[in-house]
Amino acid sequence: MSSRKKVLLKVIILGDSAVGKTSLMNQYVNKKFSNQYKATIGADFLTKEVMVDDRLVTMQIWDTAGQERFQSLGVAFYRGADCCVLVYDVSAPNTFKSLESWRDEFLIQASPRDPDNFPFVVIGNKVDLENRSVPAKRAQQWCQQKNGIPYFETSAKENVNVEQAFQTVAKNALAQETEVELYNEFPDQIKLTNDQRGGANRNDTCNC
Amino acid sequence: MDGSATFVELDRSVGPGCSEVSILDPNESSFYDFVSDEEVTERKQEEPCEDSEDSSDNPEDVDAVSEDERVVRSLRERDKLVFILSEAGKPIYCRHGSEEKLVSLFGLMQALVFCVQDDDDQIKSITAGAYRIAFLNKGPLIFVAVSRRGETPGQLALHLGYAQSLIVSVLTAAQLKKIFEQRRNYDLRKLLGGADRLMDNLLDGLEQDPAYLLGAVSCLALNPSVRDSISDAIVRHCAKLKNLVFAILLADSQLVTLVRMKKYMLHPADLHLLINLVASSESFKLSESWTPICLPRFDANGFLHAHVSYLADDCQACLLLLTVDKDQFFVLSEAKQGIVQRLRRYKCLEAINRAMKNGGYTMQDVNIPEIRHFLYKARPTAQYTAPLFSAPYDDSYEKDRLLALYHRMHQRMLLPGSQRHLKLVYVVGKYECLLCWVTAFFELYAAIEPLVEKEAVIPRVEKLLNWIKSEESRLFILTSTTF
Repeated sequence: MSSRKKVLLKVIILGDSAVGKTSLMNQYVNKKFSNQYKATIGADFLTKEVMVDDRLVTMQIWDTAGQERFQSLGVAFYRGADCCVLVYDVSAPNTFKSLESWRDEFLIQASPRDPDNFPFVVIGNKVDLENRSVPAKRAQQWCQQKNGIPYFETSAKENVNVEQAFQTVAKNALAQETEVELYNEFPDQIKLTNDQRGGANRNDTCNC
Repeated sequence: MDGSATFVELDRSVGPGCSEVSILDPNESSFYDFVSDEEVTERKQEEPCEDSEDSSDNPEDVDAVSEDERVVRSLRERDKLVFILSEAGKPIYCRHGSEEKLVSLFGLMQALVFCVQDDDDQIKSITAGAYRIAFLNKGPLIFVAVSRRGETPGQLALHLGYAQSLIVSVLTAAQLKKIFEQRRNYDLRKLLGGADRLMDNLLDGLEQDPAYLLGAVSCLALNPSVRDSISDAIVRHCAKLKNLVFAILLADSQLVTLVRMKKYMLHPADLHLLINLVASSESFKLSESWTPICLPRFDANGFLHAHVSYLADDCQACLLLLTVDKDQFFVLSEAKQGIVQRLRRYKCLEAINRAMKNGGYTMQDVNIPEIRHFLYKARPTAQYTAPLFSAPYDDSYEKDRLLALYHRMHQRMLLPGSQRHLKLVYVVGKYECLLCWVTAFFELYAAIEPLVEKEAVIPRVEKLLNWIKSEESRLFILTSTTF
């Protein structure tokens, strides 16, 4: 609880199932990639330390399950997030279309203080695949409409752009985090009234 | 409770929901790892290696030896751990470890609490082999205890309640609520700077100090005439001070006297927080201090302001003067000087020093050889007395064992909300017998020689009660002094 701790940022990864959320995480945190698909159950929790402008930051990354049946779990995870990463698969147009509802769902459930300026990052993953079907331009346009969300195209498999995307995640979340108000004002003075205080039950109180 | 079966106890009174904790996947979750010994020994300690076909087939191996898990493994050596986190899952505090190294584990704890809450239910505890994990979700914070010391969920909840009170005492409940209403993602460690040593000390005390178990305080043994002079000195210099609510003199975490404004009582739990504050703050010894403190039972939403000072270089008793007025430092500082002068004149400082040096009494002083140790709480005043731990309880292992027995017996006698409300329990154990006796006036817990006949126990205990009665005026504060 000491005052000069590393900054801690809570980052939520959202997106349809099989777009590569866990692969991105594994590439980013552990520098590993597996072709085998293994659905995330509920959520995975990972930690990564990064430097942002000379500040050491701990990212607490919540890699959520994309599958429909885990959606109800997600709600609990969203609260108090510092940044939300929306992931889609550039070879699967449906996953791009879903971004809208992932974003809306997040804003409703997490209800951040300033929804218009909440830091999102959009990642189009699997650019290594041949059958790309969502043009980069379309994605960029969507991001522009949403108050200029930063957009990255990545390949978790070939480790393209992953580091850069998450560096932006950390940087933008930190920018929000550091504009803190001070909570040092004292509450109002206690008013001494005629009611007896200190526990209603006499047996319970130190009557000395 | 045997084996490694994990079961989750839910608060059925909250909702009917059948709560499946789906995130507890035994193969992947580091939390499960933490509570199950079998799981760990099976798991190979693989160093992170180059990307290869082998490791690609087993993506979960990637996390198997993460930094997090290494830390979690070191935690497993502890009997008991306490974690505090925000409802967002951000770490605030961890007993016996750096909360920064356990960021993922904290996330998992938050998930457990809210997955169950989503079903309109509340997670209270998980039993996993020898471990018990208790949860308390209060206000914007979550408190988690993990223990293999054999406490019941109720006892662990009590401990977590104290941890919660401590945080409130630093910030007030109103402030705490406001902060998280404004920023759910707030990192509370920023505001709790320095409070971890209070928390460490409190959590150790909960294990070792019977005061918490009994919900009572112990008093420094003094002749009643000396104690009266001390109280009188405080009244003389404080009675005219507006807004002064409590004046408390402590010596070695024992109460010397407590003078209070007529209409206000001090709850033992609040007094424990003050005792803990003094015991864990060396800096009070260096100079007089002025510190805001919230006493949750008195008023959870406001601060009292405490003038804290040790009486003199030659008398290490600590005086606390608590007011609601934050501008009273110099007034109270003057009052303290007056009190000390008067105590010196009436030779009270020496009397306090003598009592502190004495350090209490032993069972030899009581002279009932069949009784090895006891705790006696006077219920109407919430004060207790106990002899020093002497043989065979003079080494820390045996002392801990006895304290654990007292805890267990206490739980059996007085579990709040339980159907059982026993008056008298006698347990014959391998190493000692235990007698617990609860009346409207007292609670008694006594450890007795194992070979004493049952019939002989009650007369010995009556003798003990007579001894306590004869010493009562020294061991307890019998009259309440007010401004």
